[in-house]
Amino acid sequence: MKQVLTALTLGAVFVSAPAFADAEVGKPAPAFTLKDEAGKEHSLSQYKGKVVVLEWTNPECPFVKRHYEADTMANTLKGFDAKKVVWLAVDSTAHNTPEKSAAWKKSEGFTYPVLQDASGTTGKAYGAKTTPHMYVIDEQGVVRYAGAIDDDPRGKSDKKVNHVKTAVDALLGGKPVPASTTTPYGCSVKYKAAS
Amino acid sequence: MKHTVSKRLVAAGGLFLSLLATVAHAALPPSAVASSAPDEGDPRVEAALLVDSTQVKPGDTFRVGVRFRLDPGWHIYWKNPGDSGLETEVDWDTPGSTVGPLQWPFPSTFRTPDGFIVTHGYEGEVLLFADATASAQAQGTLQLSAAVNALVCEVHCIPADMMLTRTIPVGPETLPDAEALPTFDAARARVPRPVEDSGHAVKLELDAKQLTAGQPFAGTFTLTSTRGAALPALEKDFFVPERIPGVDAVRLKEQGPGRFALEGKAEPDVPEAEPRLKGVLRLGTAATGFHALAVDVPLAPVVAAVGVGPAPVVAKAPSIKDSLAAVKPAAPAAPAAASAGSSMGLGMALLFAFLGGALLNLMPCVFPVLALKAYGFTRMVKQEQGRVGAHAAAYAGGIVGSMLLLAGAVLAVRAGGASVGWGFQFQEPLFVATVSAVLVVFALNLFGVFTVGLDGTSLAGRVDQSHGLLHSAGEGVLAVVLATPCSAPLLGTAVGFAFAAGPFTVLAVFTALGLGLALPFCVLVLVPGLAKRLPKPGAWMERFKQVLGFALLGTTVWLVWVMGGLAGVDGMARVLAFLVAVGLGTWVYGQAQTQEGGRRWASLAAAAAVLVGAGVVTLRFDDAAPAAARASSSVAQAQPWSDEAVAAALAAGQPVFVDFTADWCLTCKFNERTVLSREEVRAAFTEHQVAFFVADWTRRDARITARLAEHGRAGVPMYLVLSPGAADKPEVLPELLTVDSVVDAVKRASACSPTNRTDGSKVLCAAGLPKP
Repeated sequence: MKQVLTALTLGAVFVSAPAFADAEVGKPAPAFTLKDEAGKEHSLSQYKGKVVVLEWTNPECPFVKRHYEADTMANTLKGFDAKKVVWLAVDSTAHNTPEKSAAWKKSEGFTYPVLQDASGTTGKAYGAKTTPHMYVIDEQGVVRYAGAIDDDPRGKSDKKVNHVKTAVDALLGGKPVPASTTTPYGCSVKYKAAS
Repeated sequence: MKHTVSKRLVAAGGLFLSLLATVAHAALPPSAVASSAPDEGDPRVEAALLVDSTQVKPGDTFRVGVRFRLDPGWHIYWKNPGDSGLETEVDWDTPGSTVGPLQWPFPSTFRTPDGFIVTHGYEGEVLLFADATASAQAQGTLQLSAAVNALVCEVHCIPADMMLTRTIPVGPETLPDAEALPTFDAARARVPRPVEDSGHAVKLELDAKQLTAGQPFAGTFTLTSTRGAALPALEKDFFVPERIPGVDAVRLKEQGPGRFALEGKAEPDVPEAEPRLKGVLRLGTAATGFHALAVDVPLAPVVAAVGVGPAPVVAKAPSIKDSLAAVKPAAPAAPAAASAGSSMGLGMALLFAFLGGALLNLMPCVFPVLALKAYGFTRMVKQEQGRVGAHAAAYAGGIVGSMLLLAGAVLAVRAGGASVGWGFQFQEPLFVATVSAVLVVFALNLFGVFTVGLDGTSLAGRVDQSHGLLHSAGEGVLAVVLATPCSAPLLGTAVGFAFAAGPFTVLAVFTALGLGLALPFCVLVLVPGLAKRLPKPGAWMERFKQVLGFALLGTTVWLVWVMGGLAGVDGMARVLAFLVAVGLGTWVYGQAQTQEGGRRWASLAAAAAVLVGAGVVTLRFDDAAPAAARASSSVAQAQPWSDEAVAAALAAGQPVFVDFTADWCLTCKFNERTVLSREEVRAAFTEHQVAFFVADWTRRDARITARLAEHGRAGVPMYLVLSPGAADKPEVLPELLTVDSVVDAVKRASACSPTNRTDGSKVLCAAGLPKP
């Protein structure tokens, strides 16, 4: 009998815990608390019950510039029910400042907060590599989409598919997200060099 | 080319430089050169359209390419840019000739200082070229145009758009361009060649036979020289993967000459086709010179591959009559046990656990032990009446004690951050092997091969006296060990509740479970008249005992089959070899019991040696992946389960039936044989186009454990029926299926499908209609 018990304990030990890094589709989104350009704090947890769109951004990146000239983000957000969807821009650029974000926000004329992540901690927790890099988090705080804003890296397509819009619409409609991971495109996130 | 340029630059003076640049471009018309990516007015990249011939004969092949020259520190991107960036794009427009695919020299790898972002591309100078063929009817001149779109990055990035054009005369001969030819040849030398053409062979062995969506994978990649030559040394960044759909984070780590550890991760979105490992491998060093190989080998099928059939073309709009017929309250099909979920109270959970434990006695796994116990009891009642109560207590103690141990193991594992489920220990080959051995030893004991617990010299005629208190307790432990794979009705909910609750609840529920399991035997003891009704002991008992031995061997057969699922045919062979050794060791031990002195000790040592030796040699189990179809063999058209596959089937408008099962779960097997493989069920599945998924929990699978927990379960079986019209509200069927309950559930799910596929918002649910 001893053998049995030993084996049983061994069996229990063999059941190992999986380790995860980065924000993964289907997994709970990494928690964060960041200040926006006006100094107001935002935590992911406070938006539980709503669909949260995270947009990694950097106003200096040509891809971001192109999308803001075309109003891609504003038009995407406009299509959503404001009561159910929260849009947060996150800037993990090492040399970004709240003042730069505030000036950019003013010149582009949008209203959602620009979260300040100059340390890059949150960006790295999510594995954000490019600007723009988009994440959609469902009402329960689970990542449901990670990747590009659309399927048109070069900005030349007439019939582009807006992946974020597709994902949020699917979530609000209670349907599975059709393409839950895509390859993001754009500039690399200019993280602070590790000291 | 890079070398030639730098040599020239060194040889030439500063003044000479601009002159030289002019000379290099002398042959090029202005339209074939452009610069772009202006950075504060200073262009960062200069591109030139090069052709390796000054004149082309109709029908001949020549080469065209775009040469990029970048400012120091700036780079453009390879076809897989890596974590960020953008593939460099060259669009050809060449009336009168056709241009083949772009050839990419081996790229450099760039990293941010912290190594977080890794990209692939070119700095300094590079020629991206292609083979072109002049049309046989070509006349006059060939027009060549290239639209170049590149992202040029240093720390920041600037998109570059350039249009390059030039013409080449068509003539009676193809004349090479002596100026451009070396540039093309140098670029050609850096382009990876197919592995076979380079005198090498590659082999890829993955640790698992399949990739699981969202999960990392690993394997071994070997490179050998088919010509017997030694493999050259490698330099950093020797492997650059292409972008592989559905696969991410592919890396090769050198472990020895030609031997690499492969790492990667399957993305949650999985392509239907089997992914291939594609990339380029650069052999050699800067000192010895490089040559690059193009790797392209199949990776492995992905478990979550969506295998659902084509969506039904026309969704049948249910008539009112059909809909009404389908409306049946869901409750009768799903008793309280199945639907209580985690909202049940502790008292209810304890009751369920107690009743479930009692019912476990009737399950095929525990029944032999109970029979054994009843047999021993029959004898005891007559021979040592005073000790009956003590034996009952010992038996119950053995049961409750091992239940608590199991609860402790669950808590310990849970504290470690992992999730486990009921019967999880049967996912370990070593555990299965040990239990098999114990059963064989028990059986051989019943056959009289050896005796337990008494001095060997006095054994000869006293076999039956072996029934000590410890033995009773041991039988209790065995009952628990064998009971775990049989999740009886009621039990799933109770244990699921416990697993989701605090430590106290876990212990309480497991105790209640143990008491329930011990109940029938205790009833025999506690009800005075009952014991007397048992048959009288006699010669029949010896025979019955031996028959019970065969029942235990039968249980072993099942465990060996479970082992087959865990560790494949090899594992089965190993455990059988081990069992033979156990038999031999036990027999030698039995012989020793009748011997004396030195011979006896020699025999005992021999028995121990046989057991330990055999154990060491045989009990090594590879996690050989079992055939995917194994668990589902009894059910037609079963597909391996994954959340993605289920979602895809629902999106296609199909009702979904998920069978959460395991080889060691007899209840599951019983349901599969008696209900799920029945013609009526199959017909219903076909009629309603049900997608049938099998979630096989025979081996550890955290995804399945999580799904079970979501529905308040800690073990299999569990049956989910999902409707495309209400995907978020699956129906949980009871643990013991009936044909009617399955067919009705499928009908309900089907009746609740979207009625109009193009307008998914129109959903008609039977549940939403008034009841008849």
